[in-house]
Amino acid sequence: MSRLTRRTFLGASGSVLALAALGRPALAQGAQIRHFWWGNPERDRRTFEVIDIFNTKHPEITVTGETLGFADYFTKLTTQIAGGNMPDVIQQGYGVLFEYIANGAIVPLDDYVGKSLDISKMDQSAIDAGTVDGKFYALSIGANSHMAMFNTRLFEEAGIVPGEDFDPYGYSYDELGAFAAAVKEATGVPGTDDNTADYQNFSDFVGQKGAMLFNEDGSYGPTQEIVEEYWATWESIRNAGGTPPGPESAGLAGVSELSQMGVVTGKSAMTYLWSNQLVGVQSLMEDKLGAAMYPNTPDMVPGSIVQPSQFVCLTRDSVDPEAATTYMSAFVNDLDMTGVLGLERGIPSQSDVREALQPKLSEVEALSVEFFDKIQGKTAVLPPPPPSGSNEVEQTFERLAVAVLLGERSIPEVAGDFLNQARAILARA
Amino acid sequence: MQKFLRKNLAGYAFLSPWLIGFFLLAIGPILASLYLSFTKYNVVRPPQWIGLDNYMYMVQFDQRFWKALQVTFTFVFVSVPLKLIFALGVAMALDKGIRAIGWYRALFYLPSILGGSIAVAILWRQLFNYDGVINSVLRLFGLDGPYWLSDPRYSLWTLIVLAMWQFGSPMLIFLAGLRAIPQELYEAAEIDAAGPVRKFFAITVPLLAPVIFFNLVLQMIEAFKSFSGAFIISGGSGAPLDSLLFFTVYLYNEAFSFLRMGYASALAWVLLVIIALFTAIAFWTSKYWVHYENERG
Repeated sequence: MSRLTRRTFLGASGSVLALAALGRPALAQGAQIRHFWWGNPERDRRTFEVIDIFNTKHPEITVTGETLGFADYFTKLTTQIAGGNMPDVIQQGYGVLFEYIANGAIVPLDDYVGKSLDISKMDQSAIDAGTVDGKFYALSIGANSHMAMFNTRLFEEAGIVPGEDFDPYGYSYDELGAFAAAVKEATGVPGTDDNTADYQNFSDFVGQKGAMLFNEDGSYGPTQEIVEEYWATWESIRNAGGTPPGPESAGLAGVSELSQMGVVTGKSAMTYLWSNQLVGVQSLMEDKLGAAMYPNTPDMVPGSIVQPSQFVCLTRDSVDPEAATTYMSAFVNDLDMTGVLGLERGIPSQSDVREALQPKLSEVEALSVEFFDKIQGKTAVLPPPPPSGSNEVEQTFERLAVAVLLGERSIPEVAGDFLNQARAILARA
Repeated sequence: MQKFLRKNLAGYAFLSPWLIGFFLLAIGPILASLYLSFTKYNVVRPPQWIGLDNYMYMVQFDQRFWKALQVTFTFVFVSVPLKLIFALGVAMALDKGIRAIGWYRALFYLPSILGGSIAVAILWRQLFNYDGVINSVLRLFGLDGPYWLSDPRYSLWTLIVLAMWQFGSPMLIFLAGLRAIPQELYEAAEIDAAGPVRKFFAITVPLLAPVIFFNLVLQMIEAFKSFSGAFIISGGSGAPLDSLLFFTVYLYNEAFSFLRMGYASALAWVLLVIIALFTAIAFWTSKYWVHYENERG
């Protein structure tokens, strides 16, 4: 199959399964490696290009790519685990990494380090983040942090100047409430998304209050007071008109698609996401985006963390780990390949790669680098990967927060319910 | 015996694709899921036998299980009768002999073909969004429509309307049933000065009873199993506030979001038993209201 038809076929049908099935018999000799990631059109384009480069440089190895949206990615992966046919190389996030390691779906890389896998230029912090119980499991693609993205045109129209009217790298919830309401007043668009049901923001808030999401013994960290204060904080911003109405925000609880975010649909002027998503969000918008940290309490205790955005991992089902790790190694080290990947998956964790990218950054990429420079020293220490069940706790939070958004039950009541359920989930996991 | 086998061998050979498929793809997984329902199984690790624990937990501690049952029962008991009444109404209208009836039949059947698809569920979400088509129309009349999909008081109703909209297949079956009712009966009734209501309840309903029964059982089973609409509209989680937590959506979440395949298998068997139970009840009560023309008695 020629490259062109394969790509066209993929674009037309979206059928990664068929692609994998067709790709195999046609190329009989040499190692066959399957790489599976969750993506968006921009990321998929770049990743397929990277695979083509690798295949040209390594004729003895043939890599095929498979991709799905985030919402379907783990469903597919689960069925593949059950069927014993996981792809050789998969993309993982920090949030669920531990669960996959604990379940044995991902295998350690230590045996390949220094041989087929080169991590000599990787940041130590990135290596540490991929290390669990003394074993190195996960190769970081890039660093990431929480970022508030705002529509600069709407802010300008409201006369709000970042850096003068508020400090994007250290502003309080009260300030946020004030300028969000001002944006609504001036433009008719609420100044910010409502984060009542946003677990990322909640996890920051927990850090800002001096607590941890999970205590050392694995128990759940947030207290009744913290949960209540968090929801009350957003309630006051909502009541001041700074956010869309509660029922509207309720419809977005748990939604992960970038195209549904308030800043993209024009329903709000500020949305809270991961910093590496800035490139993807900007590609969906005409107005220019600005970047800020998440809001904080007046005490300014750091709550955001810098964490690996995504990892590439070797799976239990890989038939040729040697070839797979060769590919993984090139994915983070090869300058031609990383040049194509750019900053779309976060700031690269390899020093040479960062240097090579510097001169050819686009405007939006330069903004995310600038953001990273500015948040240095303002972030919290990376906690260990969350335990099994944390994913379910997160969904429970999103579900119950909807009751707060709809005003169905009182905040203390929902907060108590949430903490009870969170503890039950962790006990059962 | 050997002769018998030789005689039928060709038959079994031709049947074999179906037989193999049936044992490998139907019976096998069914038995496997029964076994898994007594285990703790997270897909990666081998299943671990825990006896009845899954079932005990479900009944004793799992609030979402009860919520899922409540949502599913509400959906079944509201949407199925409404859908059947609607289907019968349209079938009777079409039965009156409109021109180009074939065209209408195809047109009304179309939503049933599209109905289960993801595309329609997405379309439905667009229609019922706060600034979607439905509310835009309401606004023309000066009404401020609610948040259909993110308000738990309305979200289930949008799905019930979606289910009613897929009335095509019961409607076609009703139409065939109506055609089979002898016209002489209506003519005789007319001579006796029976009005349309009387004719409907004294002739149409009793003679149509077998068809009504057939549609009822079929639609009930389908409603118990319905999944894609709720899955798409709730974003896969049963949101808002579990108001769209259909049993199948909950099952899917347990299996694929939280990797509790053993528990999900137990849920699947509970659903199977519920469907079997209600089908049995329908059959049992049917002898009191369904009579067949060729019945002797």
